[in-house]
Amino acid sequence: MIVAEQKPLEEIRRMISPYQRVLIVGCGTCMTVCDAGGEREVAFLNNALRLAQVKSGDNHTFSQYVLKRQCDPEFVEMLKDKASEVDAILSLGCGIGVQAIAEYYPDMPVLPGVNTSFMGMAKEGGVWDERCAACGECRLEETGGICPITRCTKGILNGPCAGTKNGKCEANKDMDCAWVLIYKRLERLQQLDKMRRYYPPRNFLAIPRPKRIVSKATINTGENNG
Amino acid sequence: MNDKIQSSQSRTQNYVDHSLIPPCQAACPLHMDIREYVDLVAQGRIMEALQVIRSGNPFPSICAYVCTHPCEEVCRRQQVDKPIAIRALKRFAVEFGGDRMIHAEAKTTHPEKVAIVGSGPAGLACAYYLRKLGYTVTIFEAHSELGGMLRVGIPQYRLPREVLDTEVQRLTQMGVEIRTNARVVSLDLLFDLGYKAIFITIGAHQSLKIGIEGEDSPGVIDGATFLREINLGLKPSLGQRVAVVGGGNVAIDAARTAARLGAKKVTILYRRSRDEMPADPTEVKLALEEGIDVKFLVAPTNIKREKGKLRVTCVRMELAEPDASGRRRPEPVKGSEFDEKYDSLIAAIGQAPHTPSEFGVSMGKGSTIQVDPVTLTTNRIGVFAGGDAVTGPATVTEALAAGRLAASRIDDYLQHRYPMAGKEGETLSGDLSAETIEMIKKVGRIEPPILPPEARKGFKPEEQVYDWETAINEARRCLRCGMGAEILSQDKCATCLTCLRVCPYHVPRIDTSGTIQIPVEQCLACGICIAECPAKAIVLRKPYDRRSISDELEHVLKSATESKLKPFIIGFCCQYGLFGTGTLASLWRQAKAGVWIVPVLCVAKVEAEHMFRSFEAGAEGVFIAGCGEQCARENTAARVRQRVKKVRGALEQIGIEPVRLHAFATDAGVDPAKELDKFVEQISGLYLASIIMQEVKR
Repeated sequence: MIVAEQKPLEEIRRMISPYQRVLIVGCGTCMTVCDAGGEREVAFLNNALRLAQVKSGDNHTFSQYVLKRQCDPEFVEMLKDKASEVDAILSLGCGIGVQAIAEYYPDMPVLPGVNTSFMGMAKEGGVWDERCAACGECRLEETGGICPITRCTKGILNGPCAGTKNGKCEANKDMDCAWVLIYKRLERLQQLDKMRRYYPPRNFLAIPRPKRIVSKATINTGENNG
Repeated sequence: MNDKIQSSQSRTQNYVDHSLIPPCQAACPLHMDIREYVDLVAQGRIMEALQVIRSGNPFPSICAYVCTHPCEEVCRRQQVDKPIAIRALKRFAVEFGGDRMIHAEAKTTHPEKVAIVGSGPAGLACAYYLRKLGYTVTIFEAHSELGGMLRVGIPQYRLPREVLDTEVQRLTQMGVEIRTNARVVSLDLLFDLGYKAIFITIGAHQSLKIGIEGEDSPGVIDGATFLREINLGLKPSLGQRVAVVGGGNVAIDAARTAARLGAKKVTILYRRSRDEMPADPTEVKLALEEGIDVKFLVAPTNIKREKGKLRVTCVRMELAEPDASGRRRPEPVKGSEFDEKYDSLIAAIGQAPHTPSEFGVSMGKGSTIQVDPVTLTTNRIGVFAGGDAVTGPATVTEALAAGRLAASRIDDYLQHRYPMAGKEGETLSGDLSAETIEMIKKVGRIEPPILPPEARKGFKPEEQVYDWETAINEARRCLRCGMGAEILSQDKCATCLTCLRVCPYHVPRIDTSGTIQIPVEQCLACGICIAECPAKAIVLRKPYDRRSISDELEHVLKSATESKLKPFIIGFCCQYGLFGTGTLASLWRQAKAGVWIVPVLCVAKVEAEHMFRSFEAGAEGVFIAGCGEQCARENTAARVRQRVKKVRGALEQIGIEPVRLHAFATDAGVDPAKELDKFVEQISGLYLASIIMQEVKR
């Protein structure tokens, strides 16, 4: 799941200041699950912004809507009527949602209401941890199901480095050293021989961005990724 | 009546009431909305509770004393500890809700006259509802006073006669014509007198015979006759040693009454054991406390009168295989006969109706009148029957239900309508899971106080009413079965698992298809998941308040902004329990200028939006007061604090002092009034400062 957090109110207010009518658009999937942009957070922001302008004397009008998912054009199309009545859209979708809306409505300013942070999982209710960097070259088989690229501060492939101490990372003594975790896990799996292997550096040339995955015969949307 | 229905409809129009019928309501012969009135008592809204009770029960004060409360038998709270004391709570609502002030009125809107033969609970209820429907009603009663078994059967210490008199008086106020000392001998005569329909409800006053030798000796009296004589003011002389034969409620009533009349030694002879005893266990307990001796597994076989005394030969019994009634059949133990001497013997082994053959109605088993179970019609056109006369001896509440049904059937008949079977909703079934039970706060049932045995001498009512606080605490134990949370639409649900993680009772689960389910038989309707769900996809099956918090807030804001009192403070206060009992009222009363209270049913339901909205409408301060550890359910304070923290963060960014939003709980050592004073003082200070700043700027 994509995890994000709502931007500070001050920043959002600065962004919307040029626009009189603002539509706040939530997203019903990841942003709902990570408490950043579901129906409740959209309402929270709407209320907070309304209150802020009572205090400041601004004169925005706010409307709100929650899409089931912002990263599909068919859903984004559902905003058509509402979008025609506003001056800007404040998306509480992840970075993908913001761009999907911007792409669909080329004349509409689309503002990000959240900081998209990482791909991760819930450790418990209200706590999320990063787990995947979407490198496009998954090596979890070799590392006992623990990703060194995401969970090692340096992202090194042949760890641990000399900065590991008592199982913790030198960058932050509260943070586990990913390579110690990998070692222990491989030990449990009786695959410690994998620690002896050398992993060559990743070839960043071979994985250019932006990436595209095609699972159909013909593409309608053009050659490039724009 | 129509007005009442309309107003109750408009009240609930904002919500879809698709809650399931709780077991208590399903078990009640009158299908009373028990969950609703218990909840109202828990909030201290006693008058409204009484209104709910009155809407389903014509004589709540009678039921408040003598109902056998089948609702409590099925109450799901007993899976946790003990059932809710529903009858006692009804009694509380009746006593404190101003039932005596209620004035019943009715207008005649139909020309047809209806005769009611018998004035027991079924007859009275039928008269009440027919009169409400606008018919001219006459009650014919063979005895000198109205009430049937309520008058001549139930001892006064269980049902004070003033209570009965008040209800009867109300019928007179409504214009019901009453003919006492009027035994009806012929139905044809009633039809000749112009009555278009007749309701026979003559009860079951004929005592059954034990069927042993010497039963007709002087000194032997049957239970029904004995109680009737006492209740009509006679004083039969019983002597010192009295035996009562039987194990039902009449036997217990007779025994306790005999003891009150001065008998030194009262012995109940019952042929089965205590487990099989049909009498109300509470009554049995009270009888034992009063020194009444119960001889189990003993039956009389012969009575002989010798020198003014009764020599009763008894035989010991043992229990064999269960019989048709499901109880184990008693069989005499050979050679175990023994003699006992008594001054008198009361035979209370059961009663049957005694219907005059002149009525011409067809009869069934045990001299009961045969009726169609849906229409309550007998074999004679225009003649209906109900109550004990049809069912054999049953409870007051069942009789009331029969009377109510008869009224609507007679109405159907007189208006030439096809009688429709009532539509029944879905009843909640299923037990609480062990996991849920474990998480429920165990708060034992609080029984209403009963006079100590030594004080129970005369015929004064023995059971006392709850005091205000006890009643409210008892009512708060209700689990609100069947009105729990429901996912509004699975489509909206993001399956984020928040509900599953925040539920204090571990109710929501993930099914095998990965969908969240909130099993209705487990949910206790605390509302926490509703206020936490990030997709706002969960609703309560029944609104947890008559007005939603948002509606209530808007209502308060309207008056508050008109009043222009400063500083303007909004307070969200829990209306259950402590706040319901008086603190809320005292917050109102002592409230400094401009403090407005929004009553909520548990502060866990107050959302960030409500706090923002208050500030937006101009509130200088907002506080949230919950019951903290005194909460009947879970400690909700943590949830509230988290929300307050988040809103405070936003307030700070907006430029509003975070201290203007305050949450406190009335945990031990916290005086809500003082806490409120402190907050008001703080806000007043901020308010003054802002005024001065404005002046300076000018």
